[in-house]
Amino acid sequence: MLLHFEDFAPGQKLALDSRYRLTAEEIVDFARQYDPQPHHLDDEAAKRTVLGGLAASGWQVCAIARRLVIDGLLARTACAGGAEVEDCRWLKPVRPGDELRVEIEVIATSLPKSRADIGFVKWRWDLLNQRGRVAAILTTTMFERRS
Amino acid sequence: MFFEDVVVGAHRELGAHTFRQEEIIAFARRYDPLPIHLDPEAAKASPYGGLVASGWLVTAIWMGLMVEDRLRSPSEGPAVSPGFQDLRWLKPVRPGTRLWFSTEVTGKTDWKTRPELGLVLSNNQARDDGGEIFLRFTGKVLLARREVP
Repeated sequence: MLLHFEDFAPGQKLALDSRYRLTAEEIVDFARQYDPQPHHLDDEAAKRTVLGGLAASGWQVCAIARRLVIDGLLARTACAGGAEVEDCRWLKPVRPGDELRVEIEVIATSLPKSRADIGFVKWRWDLLNQRGRVAAILTTTMFERRS
Repeated sequence: MFFEDVVVGAHRELGAHTFRQEEIIAFARRYDPLPIHLDPEAAKASPYGGLVASGWLVTAIWMGLMVEDRLRSPSEGPAVSPGFQDLRWLKPVRPGTRLWFSTEVTGKTDWKTRPELGLVLSNNQARDDGGEIFLRFTGKVLLARREVP
């Protein structure tokens, strides 16, 4: 069954089943294409930076969170897009071999004045690693169709 | 480059990027597999009326141009970011759209958890040939201080 705007309410918490296992190769691939800084490209060079070893680009971390939310939730909702990230915090380095998952908390829901067919859902996505540590937090607003 | 060297108001044009259909689809396949980013036919039937790039591809392109720009200035080393704020994807980016990317320093503050670092805030944008803004966000970068206050 497809979830709609009406199925979300402030305070609601969702632990998604989707998982993403990140390899060193994928970290380096992304970095070569989009973020070629030493701490995302080379383990030896990365050891000499504040990250202390190879770590994924923050933009790759966001893209992975996005993928996990699509696989674990949005594929089952009447999602009509999203256009805003109010806040993003990269809290811990994401390393080769990390297995990532997302927990969501709905912060607010609201209806736009201009359109009757969609509603806004503002939620917080916590990206956790296999040790249960929060690696990133995104606060974002998306549109869901009304039922 | 140290925190003390950063000048509020400094503006850099980072260059342009033209989005290609293949790169839009390749990025979507791995990170953002929604029909509007993946499938030109299905996207035609959506409210967007055609294929649009994942917003996360647009920010990744900004990052790539930013790193290239930093590499052109020998005084600027790699930088670590604790996150960003107020990111808006204002208009859909389609195959063939060319965007011009920029960054401007808007503020500098202390970073309380690690006083040897300072936080630099920036206003980052992508505009099309006509000057319309497609993307904007407030970036954050931590830089070492020459002197700890």
